This record gives sequence, structure tokens and C-alpha cells, in this order.
Amino acid sequence: MEWLEIFDISLFRSLIRSATPIALIGFGAAMCSASGVLNIGLEGKMLNAAFVGIAASYYSGSALTGFIWGVSAGVLTAILFGVLSFNLGADEVLVGLAINIFSIAGTRYLLETLFKRRGFFSDPSIQGIDPINFEFLVDTRFEKILSGYTPSIYLVFFLAIVLYLVYYKTRLGTAIRATGENPEAAEDAGINTLRMKWLTVIFSGVLAGIGGTFLSLENMTLFTEGMSAGKGYIGLVASSFGNNTPLGTFGASLFFGLGDAIGIRLQGVYELDSRLILMVPYALTVVVLILIGIRQRIRVRPVPIPEQ
Amino acid sequence: MEKFSFKDVLILFAGTIITIGIAWVLLTVTGFVPREIGKLFFEGAVVGQRNILNTLNIATPYILTSIATVVSFRVGMFNIGINGSMYIGGLYAAWAGYKFTSLGHIPHVSLCIAIAIITGSLWMLLPALLKVYAGVSEIISTIILNFVAVLFVSYMANGPFRADPIAPATPRILETAELKQYFPNSQFNSGFFIAVIIAFLTYFILKKTTFGYELRSGGDGLVGFYPSRYSSYLGIPSDRSAITGMLISGGLGGLAGGIEILGNARYFYQELLFNQGFDGILIAIVGKLEPIGGLIASLFWSALRNGGLFVDYKTEVSREIVVILLSILIFFVSAQKLVSSLERFKFVRKLDAFFTRKIK
Repeated sequence: MEWLEIFDISLFRSLIRSATPIALIGFGAAMCSASGVLNIGLEGKMLNAAFVGIAASYYSGSALTGFIWGVSAGVLTAILFGVLSFNLGADEVLVGLAINIFSIAGTRYLLETLFKRRGFFSDPSIQGIDPINFEFLVDTRFEKILSGYTPSIYLVFFLAIVLYLVYYKTRLGTAIRATGENPEAAEDAGINTLRMKWLTVIFSGVLAGIGGTFLSLENMTLFTEGMSAGKGYIGLVASSFGNNTPLGTFGASLFFGLGDAIGIRLQGVYELDSRLILMVPYALTVVVLILIGIRQRIRVRPVPIPEQ
Repeated sequence: MEKFSFKDVLILFAGTIITIGIAWVLLTVTGFVPREIGKLFFEGAVVGQRNILNTLNIATPYILTSIATVVSFRVGMFNIGINGSMYIGGLYAAWAGYKFTSLGHIPHVSLCIAIAIITGSLWMLLPALLKVYAGVSEIISTIILNFVAVLFVSYMANGPFRADPIAPATPRILETAELKQYFPNSQFNSGFFIAVIIAFLTYFILKKTTFGYELRSGGDGLVGFYPSRYSSYLGIPSDRSAITGMLISGGLGGLAGGIEILGNARYFYQELLFNQGFDGILIAIVGKLEPIGGLIASLFWSALRNGGLFVDYKTEVSREIVVILLSILIFFVSAQKLVSSLERFKFVRKLDAFFTRKIK
């Protein structure tokens, strides 16, 4: 059973690191989908945030400034998405795709124009966000598991719980779900559905911004072309794996992260090709989607016959 | 989606002017002379045999992917996975290109193309069936399949189909399987003609045949973009046409990938990057989801892209500026309310009525 050796602490840590951006995007996508917005543009939002974050950190020499600018970039892209699809009547999917293509080209253009680089950019004057070490965990057995992550990683765990509470236990969560499930009924109940959609889109922009700066300022302190590498789409997939619920999305992201971590570990070590392992989460997502679809088919609500 | 009308042309025109303005500002700010860059740009796009041929060569996959988009959107399926079909079609075209020896030129090429189309369309079978029978959103499932396609072809290029011990790539395709390149100074090949024929064929089928009408009726009853079951009330099996449309769309995507391999790359390698599938969707929207519109829009798009490459090569200006401007243009074109708000003006309404009557 030598293959069991790969399941150790460092695999766990790498799993958490891979899962974080997916979960951040996934939460945003889940909230958007819950309110009936299919947000494909998250990839572009993330990429913009990653670039702006690193540029701001480079010019100001402060990680916090970089982070704030990065998140603002994500929010601004989200506003662009909202204005185009809600106010100007463009189709969400098309706007999302256009934003992704725009962002890939835009960041590459700025990389070449501002920094005269192609491919990637890194510089010693870029300040990254440092990991947090908990003093009280030093020399305990939990130190290796719980301590020494960057802030966004703790934020993900926090968000998973908070979003769960908001989603199921508050009026706001109910309003968001109602907006997605039955907009007309929600309007009748006095919910401003447009405001709900704006809220979730802006929220997803904030999360995509954090996810982007996580990639460029926390995980590594550099920017590469197309850095988000499809994570925006994977987040969307994770959210539909989790049936657009916060905890489901979180679990799905951990699962995608696990696939990623095992894939990295197995690279060229064992006979089994890592690409086949990377396919497993996607295949399972398809299975989950089929199960959800079938469940919805079966659950045909019988219309009660009124008694005479 | 509505037919091409005067206000669309107006918006396209206004959008173009605004994007040119943005380009002007961007270039001036970064210290270039916009007029000279513009001249170079024009030269790179359409001046001289070599540049024109390159433009047409770049256009080939765009034409096919935009028509793939047209077909799938017209039947009411949002196929985002044309890229995946391209990878699969390209991989198997390369495989057929080196596997089948002792065939003549025409049979071999036809076989490779047929295999590219079949594999590409089979790749789309799963999302189509999932959508129709399990209600799974085809957008999500095709996005998933894009990832799976990339992993799959990279696995195949590394594993079963690998020939080169150093680089993960398939063997070079045999000479009999190559699409002919006619000119020594360009990679322009006969694939372009296939693409153009397909565009006109799609126009004919969608417009003039019963089969085409059945396909269209699935999507033309869309309110905005969201399917209503309008066609099934007419007795047209909308589920069947949705599946057929999706398969055709995937097949065209596979063909695009196959032509890229047989005409340009000549072998499949791991780092091969297709993203024409995503661009094709935007192009099809600019062409108002009409096959001929898609053809014209792809020629336009690739002329701009090639101009951008030329400028990038000659000066310090990044080629990406073209894509930025094009996506800004897409923002304008896709903004339906912006377009319909033009109806407020009387002369727009009049011209609209005038042109729709004349062209019909």
C-alpha cells in the first residue's frame, strides 16, 4: 500500500491551498445562481483582480493597498457585468464570455505596456500577504494542520459557516432564493428582485477579487498570463456540484482541491497518469448534475383535487 | 434574436467609432502615433497577397466555430463547449492522419475530416442528452466537458498517441492527409474553402429546408434567450431538434479542430491551444446568429486580428489591443436595450421600416 503514503500533512495543506480560490469563486457563483444569475464572467473578474492587485502592490510597496485595489478591480468588473446585463439588457452568458476574453487580453496588454514583460511578472518590490501564525498553537500537534495559512484561507472557512446561516436562517437568504426560484412570486411578496441580483453579483465580485489577490499576492507573489487558468469556470462547476448551497459548494471545492493536490503529487511518480485523476471531479460533477436533474423530474408536485 | 435592422448597423457603427476613439487615446497615452499605427494595422489586415492569405487562414476556424454557435443557439442550446469539440476533433484527425497508410489523397483527407466531425459531434452527445432527458444545464455541462477535453487530449498526446520521446506529440500526419497549402509564403490551405462552403450550406439548410425550419423553431420561439416550448405546441419534436442541433454544432467544432491540424499544425501536440471556440460565440452574436452574418463577421474579426499581429511584429504595440477593442465592441452590440432605445428617434424607425421592406 505504498500509494497511501501520499496522504500526509503536506497533501492536506496543498489541498486547502488549491481549494481556496475555487471555494471563493464557488461561493460567489452559488449566490449568483441562487438568485437566478448565471455568472460566467467570474474568471475575468478574478484575473483582473489578480493583475491589479500585483500592480498596486508593486507601485505602493504595501500588500494591503494591493489587496484593496485588487478587490476593487473585481467589484468594478462585477459592476460592468451588472450594468450590461441588468440595465442594458444584454445576455448574461454573452457578457460573461466577453468579460473573460476582455480580461485575458486586457491584463496581457497592461503587462506588456506597463511592465514590458511577456508571460509573467515578478519583482522583489512586490509585497505579498504574509501567512498568519497562531502563537498558542506553537509546538502542539495542530500547528502543522491549522497554523500558517494566509488570511483568505481562514476567510473561506468563516464564509462557509456565515453563508450557510445567511442562506437558510435569514430573510435575506430567503429573498435571494426566492428571486432565483420564482421571480414573479418574489416580486409579489415585495422583494426587489433586481436589487437581490445586484447584491449577489457585487458580492461575487468581492469574492472573485479576494480569489484573484489570493492567487497573485498570497499563494505566490507573481502574475502570470491567464493566471486564473479556468478557476472561474471550475468555481461555477463546484457551485452546481453543490446544488448552489454554501456547504455543498464548499465540499465540492475541497473535492476539486483534493484532485488538484493528488494530481500535483503524482506528477511523474507513479504509473497512473495524473490527468486521469484530475478528470475524476469533473466526472463526478456530471453524475451529481444527473442525480439533481432526475430528482427534479421525479418530484412532480401532484395537484390536489379540491373536495366538493 | 431579431433580424439585422438599421438600428443594429447604427449601433455597430457607433460602437466602432467609440472603440476607435478608445484606441486613439490608449495609443497616444502610451506614446505612439495613432495614425501610423492605424496605417500599419490596415496594411497587415488586407494589403498584399501574404497578409490577405494569412487573414483568410486565421478566419477558417472562426467561420466554423461561429457557425457551430449559430446552429446550437438557433435550436435553443447554449453550446459553450465548442472548444472541447475542437480539441477532440483535432486529436482524432491527427490520429487518422498518421494511422491510415496507403490511401489516396482525396479518400484520406475525407476520412480524416469525417473522423474529426464524428468525434466532435459525439463529444456533444452527452450534454445534449443530459439537457433533454435530465434537465442538466447545457452551459454547465459543456464547460465541464471543455476541461475534460483538455485533460483528455493532453493524456492521449502523452500516452497512447505519443510518438516523440522528448516532446508529448503525435507523429506527423502523412502527406496524403494534408490539406493543400497553395502558396509558399502563407499557411493558407484548402480548409478555408470547406469553411465557406459549410457557411453557405448552413444558410441554405436553415433557411430553405423543412429540416432547417424544424431546427430553427426550437430556438426562434425563445423569449429573449430562454426556451419556451413554442415549437412542441406546433407538433415539432423540439427535443429531437435540440439534440440534432447540438450534434451538428459539435461536428462543426470538430471540423474546425481537424482543419487546424490537417492544414496548419500537421501534428497534434500537448501545448496546442485552441480558443477559437469562445471567440466564435462572440462572432456569431455580432453576425446576429445568421450563417452568412457569421461568415462576414469572422472575416472582419480575423482581419483585425491579423492587423494586430502585424502591428505587434512591426512596433512595440501589444497585439492584445485588438482583442480589447473587439470585446468592448461586443459590449455595445450585445446591449439590447441600447439598441432598442434608438427607436425613440423617428428617423431610425423610418429607416428601419424602409430597409426591412427592401431586403426582406
